[in-house]
Amino acid sequence: MHHSAGLRIRFTAALLVVGAALLAHSAYGVADEIKPKFRVAWTVYVGWMPWDYAAQSGIMKKWADKLGIEVEIVQLNDYVESINQYTAGKFDGCVMTNMDALTIPAAGGVDSTALIVGDFSNGNDGVVLKGKDKLADIKGQRVNLVELSVSHYLLARALQSIKASEKDIKVVNTSDADIVAAASASDTTALVTWNPQLSEVKKLPTAHEVFNSSQIPGEIIDLMVVNSAKLKANPKLGQALVGAWYEIMELMSSPSPAGVAARTAMAKASGTDLAGFESQLKTTRMFYTPADAVKFTQSPALANTMQQVAEFSFMHGLLGEGAKSAGAVGIATASRTIGASANVKLRFDDSFMQQAVSVKP
Amino acid sequence: MRKLINWRPAKGALAALGCAPFVLVLIAYMVASQARLEVNPNDKMLPAFASFSAAITRVAIEPDRRTGERLLWVDTAASLRRLGLAIAISAVIGLTLGMALGALPIAGASLSPLVAGVSLIPPLAILPILFIVVGLGELSKVVLICIGITPVITRDIEQRVREIPRELIVKAQTLGASTWQIMLRVVLPQALPRLVSALRLGLCSAWLFLIAAEAIAAESGLGYRIFLVRRYLAMDVILPYVLWITAVAYLTDYVLGWISRRAFRWHFLGQLQ
Amino acid sequence: MCSVGFRGARFAGTSWGNYSSVAFLELTNVWQEYPDQVVLERLNLMLEAGEFCVVVGASGCGKSTFLRLLLGEERPSRGRVILDGKPLRDEPDAARGVVFQRYSVFPHLTALANVLVALEFKQAPLTARLFGRTRYAATKRAQAMLEAVGLGAAAARYPCELSGGMQQRLALAQALIAEPRVLLLDEPFGALDPGSRADMHVLVRDLWRRHGLTVVMVTHDLKEGFSLGTRLLVFDKVRHDPQAPNAYGSRVTYDLKLRTNPLTPMTHANRAAALRLASIVPGHAAPG
Repeated sequence: MHHSAGLRIRFTAALLVVGAALLAHSAYGVADEIKPKFRVAWTVYVGWMPWDYAAQSGIMKKWADKLGIEVEIVQLNDYVESINQYTAGKFDGCVMTNMDALTIPAAGGVDSTALIVGDFSNGNDGVVLKGKDKLADIKGQRVNLVELSVSHYLLARALQSIKASEKDIKVVNTSDADIVAAASASDTTALVTWNPQLSEVKKLPTAHEVFNSSQIPGEIIDLMVVNSAKLKANPKLGQALVGAWYEIMELMSSPSPAGVAARTAMAKASGTDLAGFESQLKTTRMFYTPADAVKFTQSPALANTMQQVAEFSFMHGLLGEGAKSAGAVGIATASRTIGASANVKLRFDDSFMQQAVSVKP
Repeated sequence: MRKLINWRPAKGALAALGCAPFVLVLIAYMVASQARLEVNPNDKMLPAFASFSAAITRVAIEPDRRTGERLLWVDTAASLRRLGLAIAISAVIGLTLGMALGALPIAGASLSPLVAGVSLIPPLAILPILFIVVGLGELSKVVLICIGITPVITRDIEQRVREIPRELIVKAQTLGASTWQIMLRVVLPQALPRLVSALRLGLCSAWLFLIAAEAIAAESGLGYRIFLVRRYLAMDVILPYVLWITAVAYLTDYVLGWISRRAFRWHFLGQLQ
Repeated sequence: MCSVGFRGARFAGTSWGNYSSVAFLELTNVWQEYPDQVVLERLNLMLEAGEFCVVVGASGCGKSTFLRLLLGEERPSRGRVILDGKPLRDEPDAARGVVFQRYSVFPHLTALANVLVALEFKQAPLTARLFGRTRYAATKRAQAMLEAVGLGAAAARYPCELSGGMQQRLALAQALIAEPRVLLLDEPFGALDPGSRADMHVLVRDLWRRHGLTVVMVTHDLKEGFSLGTRLLVFDKVRHDPQAPNAYGSRVTYDLKLRTNPLTPMTHANRAAALRLASIVPGHAAPG
C-alpha cells in the first residue's frame, strides 16, 4: 500500500514539484496514435507486487496487444510522489489506498476510478508500544507515525475503540523510511507503521503490537486507480489491466510450480525471499478472484468504510479548504453514493472486474 | 557595432532588467495556472493567486481548526529556535576549535586531519545513528545541523587564523602577551569577521539540514508543514511557505551582514584598500 | 674546486671598534645552518647599551636571519647569545621590541588601542583588558605615547585609515610603551616614500636619544645606515664556492663605529670609508 522500504526523502524534489513536474505537464497533449499508449505507476508493497510481475512476465503486454493498446508499467520509489504525479496527469493510473485516493486525486479534482480492488490490510498495519502491552497505555504518549496517512487513520480507529481521541496523545510526523531507526531510539515509546517496517519494529525486545488492521478488516484497501475520463474514453485500458491482473491472481494463488515461481519472482522484486513474502501475504487479504473482489465492492460495508474515511479526512483538513463537510467530495460505490452527488470524484466501479468474472484469458 | 562584451545597461534600464525575469516567471505561472484551472477547477498543482491569499490567511491569521494555533508563526518559531540554537552551538565550537587548530601548531597537527575527515561525512547518512544516540526529539535536529555546519566553520576559522601574519603574533609576544592573551586579543578579534561570513554561508546548509530533519520526524516547523501538506498536494500552502523560508533566510543573512559591517568596521575598511 | 675569496678582510681589521665597556648584547661564535645551506657563520659580536647598530648587506646576506635570532624566532645552530648577562630566551618576549616593515600593528584595533593593548597584556594577565581607574591611567599613558610620535590626533583611527608612515610611527609607539631592553627594527622604512622616510629618521633618532634605547636596525639602504647609526655592521660572505653557493655563510665584514652622538656629522675618515663601502657593497648609492 504505502511505500518501498528504501524510500529516501528528497526534499528538494518536493520543493520543486511545481516547477519541474507541472510546467512540463502543460506541454502534455500527445496526438492520438494508431495504438493508444498508457502509463500506470506502482510502488513496492506486498499487494502491488503483481504489477511488477505483469511487466516482467509479459502478461501485461499480452493483454495490451490483444486489445490493440500499449500499457507501460512504471515503478516509482516514492509512494506519495507517485500519487502526486498521477494527480498531475503524468500517469493514467496508479496504485494507492482508498484513503489516499480520496484525499489526493479526488480532493484535487481529478475524477478517479477504483478499477481493481486488490486486497485489504489484515494486520499489515499496526500500533506498537514499547514497554507497555495494552492499547489503553497509549494515552499521554508521543506517537510516531506518518501523519495523514493510513497509519494516522488506523490510530484514530484504535483510539475510537477505547473511547479515546487524538487529544489524548501527541502525534509526531515521522518518515516511513526512518521509522525503524526511530523505533530504536530510547525516547520513542509508541508508533504506528506498516509492513515491512512493522515486522522489523515488532522484533524489538520491548515492543508489543497492541492494535492492528485485522481489527478493522476491510477499511484499509489497496487499489488500482485510473483516471475516470481516460477510462471512459478507452475502456480497453480497463479491460487490459483487469485481464492481466486476474490472470496473475490465478497464478499467484496456485500451489503449482508455476505459482511458486511467480511468488518467488515477486518476493525477489520486493527485496525478500519466498518465506518472507508469504508471511506478508498472511496479513494481506488478497482478492484472488474477481468474484471475490466484486462481492466486497458491492457490499454496504465499503460505503460505510468510505464514510468513515471521508469524516477522518475532513477533520484533518485533507479534503481541501473549500470543503464545508465530510461530504464535499462525492464517492460513488455500488451500494450508495456518499457525499455530494454533484461532485463525485471517486468511483468504485466493479463493471470491469465483473467482466473478468466471465472472461477467461 | 560595439562588441557584446561592452554592452552595459543604462542606469534606468538596470532595475527593469533585474525585474524582468521575476515578472516573466510570474506571467508564466499565471498562464499555466489558468490553463490547468480551466480544465479542472479543483486543480491543486498550480493554484490561482486567490487560493494563495486564502491559504495564507488560513495559516497566518486564523487559528487552526484542530489546534487553535496560528500555524505559520508556530512553525516559524519552532524552526528558528532549532536553527538559532544550532547556529549558536556551531559558532562556539567552530570558533574555539578553529582558533586552536589554526594558532596552536600542536593542536593543528593532531586534530586537523580528524576535522577534515569529519567534514566529509554526509550528515544525512548518519541520521539513523543520531536517532539511536540522541533520540528523535529537538536534540536530534539541532545535532544534525551542528554536525553539518560545524566542521565547515571550524575549517574556515582555522584557515583564517593561519592567514594572520606571523609578524602580528611575534609582535604580540614582544609586547609581553601570553598564548592565552594572544588568543583573546589578536586571534579572536581577527577570526570574528570570518566567523560571521562563515555563518552566513553555513546558513544555507543549515536550512537544508533543518528542513530535512523536520521532514523526517517533527510535530511543528516550516519543513514539517511542507512535508505534511505535500501528502495531499496542498500547493497553495507549500508555495507561500517556500517563499516565506526564502524571505526569512534572506532577512537573516541581511541582518548578519549588517551586524558584521557595524561591528567589524576595521575589516571592511581594510578590504577597500 | 674551492675558490675562496677574502673580499674586505683588510677592512675588518681596521675597524674603529674598541669597546671596553660591559657588553649588553653578546654573540659568541654563532652559526646558523639549515639542512641545505649555511646562512651565518662564526659570528662574534658585542653591543653596548645605548648603541644604535645598523646592519646592512645585500639581499640574502643573512641580516634578516640575524634579526630573527635576536628576536628569538630562531635558535642558533651553534654558539650562544647573551642579553644583559643572561642567555637569550629562544622565543619572543617583552625584553625585545620589534618593528617590521609590514604587519607591525594590529589591524582590528584603533591607534590608541594598539598602544593600550601592550599595557593591558602586562597588567591584566587573565582578561588582557583593563577597566576603570587602571584603564584610565593606561589610556593616558598610551595617548601620551601617541602624542610623542605625532599621532595624537589619529588616536581613534584604524591602521588601514593611516598612511604607511603613520602606521610605522604607531608601531614604534606600541613597541616603546612596552619598554623593551633592545629595540629591533626590520627594514622599518623600506615601504615608505622618501619624504615620510626622512620624517621617520628624525623621529627615530629623537626617540633613541630621549629613551636611551639600544637599537639594532636591519636595512638594505646603506645611506640610511650611515645617517642613523652609531655603529654599522656589513654582512657578507667571505668564502665563496661557485659550485655550491650555499656552502658558506655570511660574516661581519665591516664593523664601523660612526659616532657617539647620531646628531654629529660623520668624520672625514668615516665618510671616506663609506664611499669605499658603497663601491664594494653592490646595489648601494654613496652616502651623503
